[in-house]
Amino acid sequence: MKRPRKMKTILGASLCLLLVVTSGPNPAFAHKAKHTPEQLKAFEQVFMEQVKVGDLLFHGDEATQKRLGVTLSNTGMACAMCHPFASDTHPYTFPKFQEQVNKFAPLRDMINWCIEKAAEGEKIETDSDAMKALETYIYWSTRGSKLDPGRH
Amino acid sequence: MDRVLRQPGEHPDRTMEITRRMFIHKSLLAGAAAGAATAGWFPWLNTLDLAFGAEAFKFVWISDSHLYPKTLNTRFIDKVTRAVKDVQAMSPPADFLIYGGDLAQLGDPVELDLGAEILKEVTIKKVFIPGEHDWYLDMGVKWEKLFGKSSWTFDHKGVRFIGLDTVSRGPDYWTAKKMTPKERMGHMATLDGSVAGAWAGVGRDQLAWLSTTLSTWPKNKPVVIFSHNPLYEYYPPWNFWVRDWREVHEVLAPFTNVTNIHGHTHQVLYNEIGKVRSIGMLATSWTWPYAPEGVPALTKCVVRVDPGDPFDGVGWSKLTVSAAEKIENDYVMWRKDILGETPWDSGCADNANQILSPRLADREWPYYGAYK
Repeated sequence: MKRPRKMKTILGASLCLLLVVTSGPNPAFAHKAKHTPEQLKAFEQVFMEQVKVGDLLFHGDEATQKRLGVTLSNTGMACAMCHPFASDTHPYTFPKFQEQVNKFAPLRDMINWCIEKAAEGEKIETDSDAMKALETYIYWSTRGSKLDPGRH
Repeated sequence: MDRVLRQPGEHPDRTMEITRRMFIHKSLLAGAAAGAATAGWFPWLNTLDLAFGAEAFKFVWISDSHLYPKTLNTRFIDKVTRAVKDVQAMSPPADFLIYGGDLAQLGDPVELDLGAEILKEVTIKKVFIPGEHDWYLDMGVKWEKLFGKSSWTFDHKGVRFIGLDTVSRGPDYWTAKKMTPKERMGHMATLDGSVAGAWAGVGRDQLAWLSTTLSTWPKNKPVVIFSHNPLYEYYPPWNFWVRDWREVHEVLAPFTNVTNIHGHTHQVLYNEIGKVRSIGMLATSWTWPYAPEGVPALTKCVVRVDPGDPFDGVGWSKLTVSAAEKIENDYVMWRKDILGETPWDSGCADNANQILSPRLADREWPYYGAYK
């Protein structure tokens, strides 16, 4: 049976597109590929490095604050003084209405509230390395807790 | 442990039961101790002053002020100053004040001097025990110069009071690593740190002293032991516990009326082991959350503190020794709504969904492993 010319064109274009999307690296589809053990190790290493940075920040390490250009407290206080092991931070309950900031807020807003009000430090950029590290430590230290967003 | 320490058929003295004052004031809400009857929940209504003809009196406790130098931080100064004013305003005055340790934050002589200056305003008799924050910069040199011996005993109106030093006998985690005094103090000052190891302890010498001190004291007469750390094993990962607490309880075992009053935990806390009851005092500085596990069964948790209110969840304590030799505690918490009636208000309710992990940085810290 003879195919119409238009049909052939569509078929050809589709095949080309399929070749493009299935051959070679494409970030949009990277997650489809099976991770190698090396990749998984690298991912974990990146994560745990952030946990360590966050742990040091959380415990008031001056060198880490200086390196990241943040001042989490001007009074000598540190997050861990009220939150040993990140207890009572309840990251698994965010986002939620947070009374202190009087709005529906993600965890990072509460972190900044604590830095400014409780520790009398200087608010940090929400997408800064320091914020990411603090969040990473808090989530890591409370992992295993049940996800319970919105709970007050 | 309660079963081990309590002999068959042996029960706490009636003075160990929850008192009416505690019940009404909700300063402590206790459940029944292991093996205790339901009646343990209720106050003993016998308020007649029959026993021993002793004289009722009050004493007060202030602790855990964690003062920084004035130039850095005055927020904790305000609160201990308020506690001091409260104590001075008592009429009739209390018989004495016990300061229960952690006057300073980092053992800085400036901090200790500042604390001594503030406490000078209290004109009644004062006695002191040290906290770890007072000690590990210069190993207690400045503290002892200001406040004298770190353990002591005296008798007052039929009660033997003992001040125990639970902080000065920490294992040496600093010499081998050539830590500076500031580094040593820094590790000691971290509640959730692991570098200092199981530092809190009474020590063999002090245990022997305690035993001798009590050897002539009648077994049924009240003994009140002040210690900075609680004399039981409350959540070891946070350095709350005293490593030789079992030996302390063995020394105390023959006595029927023993109360341990401690600081360090910065929270409403109550526990019974055998015949000994322990009451945790408030800090004037800030509150600790409850540990994720191992909160004593007899604790009614304080409501979660408002972190925006520096005077919430903190304060001092007024203690009464009645003529019947009952010892009652009245938390003077500056914000009065201290107990949550609903589970979601309670600090302990957080524990049901709070799984925590020990620090990572400590494990990779250059000094990790200094103490085994």
